[in-house]
Amino acid sequence: MEHILTGFSILIDPMSLAVILLGTIVGVLVGALPGLSSSMAVALLLPFTIYLDPVPAISMLAALYCAGTFGGSITAILINAPGAPPAAATAFDGYPMAQRGEAGRALGMAAVASVIGGMLSLIVMVLAAPALARISHSFGPPEYFALAVFGLSMLASISGKSPVKNLIGGAFGLLIATVGVDLTTGVERFTFGVPELYEGISFIPILIGLFAIAELLAQANVRDKVLERISLNAIKLPSVTDFKRVWPTILRSSGIGTFIGILPAEGSTMAAMIGYNEARRWSKNGDKFGTGEIEGIAGPEAANNAATGGSMVPTLALGIPGSATAAVILGGLQIHGIRPGAYLFENQPDLLYSIFAAMFLANVVFLGFGLVGARLFSRISLIPRTFLWPTVFALCVVGAYGVNQSMVDVMIMLIAGFAGFWLKRYGFGAAPIIMGVVLGSLVENSLAQSMIIFDHDAWRFLDRPIAIGFFLLAAFSLFYQPVFGWLRRFRRPRSAASKGAK
Amino acid sequence: MRHWMKSGLLMTSLATAALAFSATSGADDFPSEPIEIVVHTSPGGGTDTTARIVALATQAQLGTNVYVQNKKGGGGSVAMSYVKSKPADGYTVMAITPTHLFTMLRGNSPLDIDDIQGLARATDDPIIVMVRGDSRYKSIHDLIEAGRAGVIKWGGTQIGGVDHIAAMSFAKAAGMKVSFVPFDSGAEFAAALSRGDIDAAGLNISETRDQIAAGDFRPLAVMADDRMKALPDVPTLSEKGLDISFSTVRGYVVLKSTPKARQEILEKAMLKGMESDRYQNYLKGIGLDETSIEGAADWDSQIRRMYKAGQETMQDLGLAQ
Repeated sequence: MEHILTGFSILIDPMSLAVILLGTIVGVLVGALPGLSSSMAVALLLPFTIYLDPVPAISMLAALYCAGTFGGSITAILINAPGAPPAAATAFDGYPMAQRGEAGRALGMAAVASVIGGMLSLIVMVLAAPALARISHSFGPPEYFALAVFGLSMLASISGKSPVKNLIGGAFGLLIATVGVDLTTGVERFTFGVPELYEGISFIPILIGLFAIAELLAQANVRDKVLERISLNAIKLPSVTDFKRVWPTILRSSGIGTFIGILPAEGSTMAAMIGYNEARRWSKNGDKFGTGEIEGIAGPEAANNAATGGSMVPTLALGIPGSATAAVILGGLQIHGIRPGAYLFENQPDLLYSIFAAMFLANVVFLGFGLVGARLFSRISLIPRTFLWPTVFALCVVGAYGVNQSMVDVMIMLIAGFAGFWLKRYGFGAAPIIMGVVLGSLVENSLAQSMIIFDHDAWRFLDRPIAIGFFLLAAFSLFYQPVFGWLRRFRRPRSAASKGAK
Repeated sequence: MRHWMKSGLLMTSLATAALAFSATSGADDFPSEPIEIVVHTSPGGGTDTTARIVALATQAQLGTNVYVQNKKGGGGSVAMSYVKSKPADGYTVMAITPTHLFTMLRGNSPLDIDDIQGLARATDDPIIVMVRGDSRYKSIHDLIEAGRAGVIKWGGTQIGGVDHIAAMSFAKAAGMKVSFVPFDSGAEFAAALSRGDIDAAGLNISETRDQIAAGDFRPLAVMADDRMKALPDVPTLSEKGLDISFSTVRGYVVLKSTPKARQEILEKAMLKGMESDRYQNYLKGIGLDETSIEGAADWDSQIRRMYKAGQETMQDLGLAQ
């Protein structure tokens, strides 16, 4: 308790407070701009933190991380251009809502769901970090393979379009993920002698292309008729009824996000995808997802922010980064001569609680920022498209180029944009493709690693209880609908009377 | 913050002074323009972070802006072709790692070993043969025996990277059979080792100091010429008659045709910058010490030795041309 108080006392120190606020605001802005991700912003700020004391330095980076994950949702909702990969799932329902003139409601929900997810994961982190670190430590290649199989089992159902088309889209995503040098054989695949493709196709240009450029092309197809602009609706925040409806979704997604975040190297993007899919699975309006359901925003947003808290667990407790941004923050600890691990927990608990406090404050700040900003930003959805979309295009090109300062990435973005536009016209959604790309290398590499570890005997997966658990979940996810449907049909004659009474 | 602004002000005034000076004195006023350090990865990660700190430390010495340019791709070949496209005037410095050397060995690389000249080394982290604390391999001898009788599952990073080449060079020299399991990062295969998924791994002290102290990991031998200060009781492979020396090194090079005088100015500034408390503190944070820092002569010869050692192994593995 004493350590917690000492930790939180950094919030009184004006210097620390100032850099945490700075980190939060920079985080929201950077997160919102497509192509600029929080991991990049943290990496660029890192060397400058050597001029600060360790506690405010790490606090600033942690606050930036939290806020950046939220920031991505703003552009995802307003212009269908997810500012960062974790916000991809937010665009599925957020953008249709904005188009319907409910941008404020969508943005407000994103802010609230993000904050609840982020706070819950922080509480879990404070209470149980060392215990949770043990879970993340027990995750090896076989467990990751099983988790990835579980993720892939969602492909058919992740968007409301035809399951067959979803599977084709997912397979296409997996194919994209095979480009580059294979981890276990060192063989170059589909690189065609382009050195930029050697480490695989970058995810961000694909994301920008599939979402923003594809939408831009679709918009170019629409004649700009004078729309009825009821600005009052657009800046309206979500109502209490909305919150009552999404409450279970937020809780579920916070749990999923915290868990996925704790797993080393699995970050917010996967958490958001799974959070979205589970929100859809358990929702009464599951079939309306993708057309602007508010649960479709709460699901991924609570999950991806919960994953930021979760990913700090293995980072601090084991020195194994829980996500790409956490890996950079790990570098930040090292710059200040701080070694993560059990040592940190035993000898420097104050620092630990300061990081919690900073992330906590960041959540509070971007809640305010998000709610006030929602009324302001939502006006973007009222800008006539003839002005809006050319600006978006410029933003996209800069974003795609900026990641690696490479024109190849701009080409990838354009190709992905045309492909996405064309695929959309024929009923293929972006969701399964993104899911395939995210899981592709994980499923392949973890299987290859597992097989070497198991001396090429696949039965030895049965020695790993966690893996078996995920295989069962995957089976459940694939078969629960037909099985439940069958059970219901079987039981209907007997339970018809009680149902009729309802 | 104030500190930062102050040094920022100082920097700008120094830079302006340098600029003013260059306008009057003409020819050899190197450096009068910003210097870029080309890194082969995205921002974040050890090579990039080290380069950024070295850049800050060096610019304090030179009074001119030093910044990091990320050119990711092709195992360093995108960075190398970028450097090749720049004039050899000392304003473009490249950060290199063993990865660059092995990319050269694969062939079709934009630069070759003879095109570069070492300036200074920033980190040197020898690879240590490590097993789990409760492993039945008590010494490097036990491990070699087991590898001769059966197969050792060995963890490292990607195929063709320094971990892989080091493991395979060791296996060949000792006559062992090794089944190599590649992972994405050192932290991942360190975790795999402690779970018992793999039998042995080549790890750095920076990643494992706490586990060694706690007895979770047992270091069997160091792939270096001399014993490490941090592990005085652990033998080197060369003591055991195996001439295997591999290390996760990061250092800086320029194109060979860069004027000698400019190379010396850069070397001196980098070495002096790395003496600063900030850089030393960073080294300490990543588990290293001042022995990591080395000047042009030793660093350059280390690059060439590692290139040669990699060449033989890669030819055996069918990776080199």
